[in-house]
Amino acid sequence: MAASMAAASGGFVTRRLLRGAARGLSGGRAAAEEPEGAVVNVVFVDRAGRHVPVRGRVGDNVLHLAQRHGLELEGACEASLACSTCHVYVSAPHLERLPAPDEREDDLLDQAPLLQENSRLGCQILLTPELEGAHFVLPKVTRNFYVDGHVPKPH
Amino acid sequence: CVPQDPRVLDSMLPYLTAYYGNPHSRTHAYGWGGGGAPGKGTRQVADLIGADSREIIFTSGATESNNMAVKGVARFYKSRKKHIITTQTEHKCVLDSCRSLETEGFQVTYLPVKKNGLIDLKELEAAFQPDTSLVSVMTVNNEIGVKQPIHDIGEICRAHKVFFHTDAAQAVGKIPMDVNDMKIDLMSISGHKIYGPKGVGAIYVRRRPRVRLEPLQSGGGQERGLRSGTVPTPLAVGLGAACEVAQQEMEYDHKRISQLAERLVTKIMSEVPDVVMNGDREHRYPGCINLSFAYVEGESLLMALKDVALSSGSACTSASLEPSYVLRAIGTDEDLAHSSIRFGIGRFTTEEEVDYTVQKCIQHVKRLREMSPLWEMVQDGIDLKSIKWTQH
Repeated sequence: MAASMAAASGGFVTRRLLRGAARGLSGGRAAAEEPEGAVVNVVFVDRAGRHVPVRGRVGDNVLHLAQRHGLELEGACEASLACSTCHVYVSAPHLERLPAPDEREDDLLDQAPLLQENSRLGCQILLTPELEGAHFVLPKVTRNFYVDGHVPKPH
Repeated sequence: CVPQDPRVLDSMLPYLTAYYGNPHSRTHAYGWGGGGAPGKGTRQVADLIGADSREIIFTSGATESNNMAVKGVARFYKSRKKHIITTQTEHKCVLDSCRSLETEGFQVTYLPVKKNGLIDLKELEAAFQPDTSLVSVMTVNNEIGVKQPIHDIGEICRAHKVFFHTDAAQAVGKIPMDVNDMKIDLMSISGHKIYGPKGVGAIYVRRRPRVRLEPLQSGGGQERGLRSGTVPTPLAVGLGAACEVAQQEMEYDHKRISQLAERLVTKIMSEVPDVVMNGDREHRYPGCINLSFAYVEGESLLMALKDVALSSGSACTSASLEPSYVLRAIGTDEDLAHSSIRFGIGRFTTEEEVDYTVQKCIQHVKRLREMSPLWEMVQDGIDLKSIKWTQH
């Protein structure tokens, strides 16, 4: 189906559709696309404690960035500010450089397990140049905690 | 002891019989306190204290609320803040929570009180440290009835950007409380103290600026993630109704209770000499009176008055043989502390009950003093402080 759609439309749109389809088929584990904007280097720390350096771009959504790089950051509500599963801890100096959370984000953070003072929702963080070098640590559990180690796949 | 208001019972009965559904079995995604009977309860509690219904969380009572406030706030901010300020006259559950935190490495300042039972605001100011996370001061003391300067304390805490918690179990529904006027960030509420059911209370947790606390109970994330566990619907409904009734009756109750309190104190003090009222005369809640009867043994007086519901000390400390730490904090002599009785006057106390209590009290104080060697010595002009008592 993707091929026939590619034949019908042309050029840039085709490339995007094909890539999108490929991404969907492989479950979102393909390497990052070529986004616009200056580079912002950040580090994700996964649940096993592994440091994963990532080249992001200004304007990138931290949840989607993490998922594109295969990190197990859940996004149950797909960034619609209706869950707390993309909960991350933000490194100290960078925390202050983020805009204050919306009341709705605060309400959802209340429901995130293992909340700390440096907790934020990943889907509400957009990369800016001041976040260069930021560390985003994944908490050990989310609200969808499973004791058998199961991690829900990104939608 | 405090009876349950019949109007509260009326509100609860349907939820103990016909309406037994689990308040959490809903499919709507998020948002708390909005639905059902407990939701209405949160609105009634919130109205009484000037809060938003989303800021009210049901607990098993003020003891749990106090534990949540003190331990919860301290532990949440522990990476940067390790110091708490409270007073020496707080309820046992606050003091015990503080003691338990000390074993976890926290530092606690227990502010002394003046002879009238109130804290010194300058001492409070001086106690702040850069790593103070919480100040906890009760509004009305349960043993001597004094009322702390909550407005002033709230201002000071706000200026220092430190959260202010108050155990308002004895104050809510009896005197006007407003969490915004008084700059209160956390408040403990007790059901049975305001003629509601036993086994339920609430905690007010401010949303703006947001107060965070580490929950004591883990589970399904009910009550904003702060207190997991099925909300006890009949009890929550009862607490809500008790708050609504209290709001309506507050002015009338206060006037009536003040009159009865005045009656009790005046009659006793006019008939019996050497009686001391503990705590400030002016800054108090009238319904809680603590009198010390010199040269009379407190337990004997209590036993003599056992058909009237009184207490020596308060319920939570009555098991210990030591005299009240609250009385010690206000500088009461040890022997006088042993001879203290707390009289509680409430919405359902009648004039006849007060007169009966007064009459019995006067009768037995006189009788016990007749038997008291100390009384005899004082009558003979001997200064008791000069006596050297020997051990046998």
